[in-house]
Amino acid sequence: MVGPVHYLVLAAILFALGAAGVVIRRNAIIVLMSIEIMLNAVNLSFLAFSRFPLVPVAPMQAGIYAGQVAVFFVIAVAAAEAAVGLAIVIAVFRSRTSVHVDEFDTLKL
Amino acid sequence: MDNLASLRFFLPESILTVAVLAMFVQDLLTRRSARRVVYLTAGALVWLAIVAFATLQMPAGTASLFGGLLQHDPLRMFFTWVFLGATLLTIVIAPNSGQISPNRLGEFFALLFALVLGMYLMASASDLLTIYLSIETVSLVSYVLTGFRRGDRKSNEAALKYVIYGGVASGVMLYGMSLLYGLFATTRILGEAGIAAQLSDVTSRIFLAHAFGGQPAAQLALIVAIVFVLAGVGYKIASVPFHMWCPDVYEGAPTPFTAFLSVGPKAAGFAVAIRFFFATFERQLPDGAFAQVGDVPWPAIIGIISAATMTLGNLTALVQTNLKRMLAYSSIAHAGYLLMGLAAASAAGVQSILVYLVIYLFMNVGAFLVVIAVANARGGEQISDFRGLSVAAPVTALTLAVFLFSLTGLPPLAGFTGKYLVFAALVQRGGFWNVILAVIGVLNSAISLFYYAKIIKAMYLDEPLDRTPMRVPRLYTGLLVALAVPLLVFGVYWGPLVRWASTAFGGPTPI
Amino acid sequence: MPFHFANVLVFAAIAILFVLGSLVGGHFLRPHNPTAEKEMIYECGEKPIGQAWYNFNPRFYLIALVFVIFEVEIAFMYPVASVYRSFIEKGQGMLAFLEIFVFVAILAVGLAYVWAMGDLEWVKGLKQDVLKAAREAREQPRKAA
Repeated sequence: MVGPVHYLVLAAILFALGAAGVVIRRNAIIVLMSIEIMLNAVNLSFLAFSRFPLVPVAPMQAGIYAGQVAVFFVIAVAAAEAAVGLAIVIAVFRSRTSVHVDEFDTLKL
Repeated sequence: MDNLASLRFFLPESILTVAVLAMFVQDLLTRRSARRVVYLTAGALVWLAIVAFATLQMPAGTASLFGGLLQHDPLRMFFTWVFLGATLLTIVIAPNSGQISPNRLGEFFALLFALVLGMYLMASASDLLTIYLSIETVSLVSYVLTGFRRGDRKSNEAALKYVIYGGVASGVMLYGMSLLYGLFATTRILGEAGIAAQLSDVTSRIFLAHAFGGQPAAQLALIVAIVFVLAGVGYKIASVPFHMWCPDVYEGAPTPFTAFLSVGPKAAGFAVAIRFFFATFERQLPDGAFAQVGDVPWPAIIGIISAATMTLGNLTALVQTNLKRMLAYSSIAHAGYLLMGLAAASAAGVQSILVYLVIYLFMNVGAFLVVIAVANARGGEQISDFRGLSVAAPVTALTLAVFLFSLTGLPPLAGFTGKYLVFAALVQRGGFWNVILAVIGVLNSAISLFYYAKIIKAMYLDEPLDRTPMRVPRLYTGLLVALAVPLLVFGVYWGPLVRWASTAFGGPTPI
Repeated sequence: MPFHFANVLVFAAIAILFVLGSLVGGHFLRPHNPTAEKEMIYECGEKPIGQAWYNFNPRFYLIALVFVIFEVEIAFMYPVASVYRSFIEKGQGMLAFLEIFVFVAILAVGLAYVWAMGDLEWVKGLKQDVLKAAREAREQPRKAA
């Protein structure tokens, strides 16, 4: 039987994969995609907690839906972030015709 | 309070939303006008005045808005005035800075108002979801404004780094929030079934202890969640280990926006941190002191981050040659000093943060204003560009000296007041580690003198770069003096400031 | 419970067998007679040009960015639509409508701004260039005269 633990473990794995992608991948667009994976892992975690509450709550209590509402907003914010991120990647590409983060070293420590 | 009744307390935010749209429309309408810079600046100032008026008209006291999503209280009102001050300075500085093209000034002001709206929400957010959304509102607009100069390589690169670091930090924070939601089955912090109520409720604490097969597991989940949430806040205030974006963004962004970024969002981040930690994990006793709830060692976590942040910021600032970049590291160090006030976990600690933030607004914006003036006149932001400034522009050099000595925390300047109050709060709280933290803070202030003095030496002692008088706009000179004088006043007479802060937090009305 | 998934398994097996069977059957039944035209990559009847792996025109991104915002807007409209009836029953139908109207109006101002700035044009600034060229062409003869 698939229970909360399965979803939570899947969410944790997805989150770790996204974080690893940010650190390892060098293409800025793929880095942005990895961030999207992280946000979607969080969505899964929110939904798992909403479907299988750990705390005993009444069936119609608002807290049950709070997680699902959060997911809607996270989707919207993720879209906005992707839009801004891609716009900036395009601006960077126009000024130096590359999207590889290793090459962005005009600003140094 | 239901939604319609809450709108009355939401008036400044509503006006800000209208102001964003109005600035866009005005930008379109005045596109062909030759005097568009004057019109747009006047428009922005008028809108800001309306917002300030609405903020002034806000009723006193506390109220829970929109069913617990937002919280109206004196703390929120205090922060809104800091935001309004920073916005006013930015609107006045921006048109003459030469860094924002007149064609895009309307867009800049519209985005700036959107950013202020996000900060207003950050100051009042009392639900995990509204905290996340308000932080994201501020972040998304900051990304765009950082990359505002589209053709500029530095500006683009800074924006891209900002987006990537910001995306990761907000993702981590959100993951922590999902864990908190799982533990408490609610996203509300305050209120009847909110996280704070559940943590202080004995029966639910017993449940927490048994939920995951024993106390350590539940405790660990709670601490992990808090550390993750702290990532989002730490990223906004630029504390270790989420400080890496800070120098790049400060150097790459248009300088008027850098000045704003170093003050506004940092203050907003502290607003979120204060509300989150004090509402959730502290309970105010009748005598005004705070007692911890839920056995979460959050002051210790913050104390460690604080020590690491200020030490790293100050040591790295020592080797910088670009003044904007040095001020970025100095602002990281100041985030560390401010976190010390939070680590004290007392009303005096929070009040010291509030006082410090007001003083920081004056000295940091002032320092950036001098950078803009010098960069426009001499074409560079390196320390070598400041050589002999005392000969070429005596007033500018003198005010920069005031700002830098104040940032160091030397008496009788206001920076000393801020630091003194923070250290006093920490020592007053007592305990071996708190005193150690205060000692680290004092040592750091001593280190910071080295790099601030380097600039002052360049201005007063080095061979002048150019003896001819430097052209500084009269508006800027006036602003510099207006920013420097309060620093001298607050350095010796800080009573009103402290009283204002104590009405905002920890006074007769509990948060 | 496991039997519910047995249905899926049977469907999956039939689907895989069907595709495999028709491909393998076709391989044995059809005549083998290749020509240069037949070997070519199929691209809706056009002759293929260049590589398939190349950078997309960034203009697609700009249009897509504007699109994404309005696409996500639907995610917020839908929950309101699904509970709108209960608002009407409570006599708050107008209130709910106004709230959503404000939301859409804010986005509409954004769209109007993008439009007015010419970011929806496929080639930004082309219109101005064409107009300028036409104006100059008109003024040229006058100067000559």
